[in-house]
Amino acid sequence: MNIENTKAQMRKGILEFCILSILHQKEAYPSEIIEDLKGAKLIIVEGTLYPLLTRLKNAGLLSYRWEESSSGPPRKYYKLTELGKKFSSDLETTWGELKEAVNKVQKKSSTKK
Amino acid sequence: MNKTISINLAGIVFNIDEHAYRILDKYLSTISGYFSEADGKKEIMADIESRIAEMFQERMGKARTVVSEDDVNHVIQLMGQPEDFLGDEATEPEKTEEGFESTSSKRLFRDPDDRLVGGVCSGIAHYFGIDPLIIRILFIVAVIFFGTGFLLYLILWAVIPKAITAADKLQMKGRAVTVDNIKKRVQKEADDLKKR
Repeated sequence: MNIENTKAQMRKGILEFCILSILHQKEAYPSEIIEDLKGAKLIIVEGTLYPLLTRLKNAGLLSYRWEESSSGPPRKYYKLTELGKKFSSDLETTWGELKEAVNKVQKKSSTKK
Repeated sequence: MNKTISINLAGIVFNIDEHAYRILDKYLSTISGYFSEADGKKEIMADIESRIAEMFQERMGKARTVVSEDDVNHVIQLMGQPEDFLGDEATEPEKTEEGFESTSSKRLFRDPDDRLVGGVCSGIAHYFGIDPLIIRILFIVAVIFFGTGFLLYLILWAVIPKAITAADKLQMKGRAVTVDNIKKRVQKEADDLKKR
């Protein structure tokens, strides 16, 4: 079994949730989201983000508006739609449950040792 | 001294070194090949180009006016290769037994590598994906019993083009004409030559 592959799979599943979480807190443009994700070591290359954002937007979870930038091309500021907010809250609950479940399993196996 | 090319990225004009341009152009078309229109290819490409423009501007500052090879390589490193950032989302092109990507659009060619007379039979066999021997036997039967087979063969020989380039040969066998496949095809031919 390839450990790198497993890690990548785990990261990918969580990535979408994290993007929604970031956008739940604030409106943001891709570079900001990338900074946050890079800080959390969730993303390695920037290219990952763009197809994801487009997919989430096409699924009706995100919307965006254009804003002029003083230092470059205009930026797309993304935010959650109503559907996106609900989706994000649902995921938050699931994440809480998963976290607890993993903790429980790990504790159990460590007390057995 | 190097020539520069003027490009428009996300509505901003950049002067870019000729060599750097080629690297960037190849990179963008590689990425673009990974998405379908249904994924929102246009939008994804526009977003990526816009980010690249932003990164160029950050790197260039005010002093420099030409985008160099270093700039392009730096940007590609940050952006990543499509294999890295798509994972299993990329609709991996189907691989056939020899590792070539396949496609549905086959074309009829005469196969100059596997021919007894003009390569007509093996070409037809490739087209239908069957053993050339079957077609050959059918032709021989047609020649012996009906006599028209000979004429038919001559007509087909004249009408069907010969597969000359690596791209022709890939299409003949129903494989996608991609840079990657052509590379493999040329490599295979070079290996075959060595063996001889």
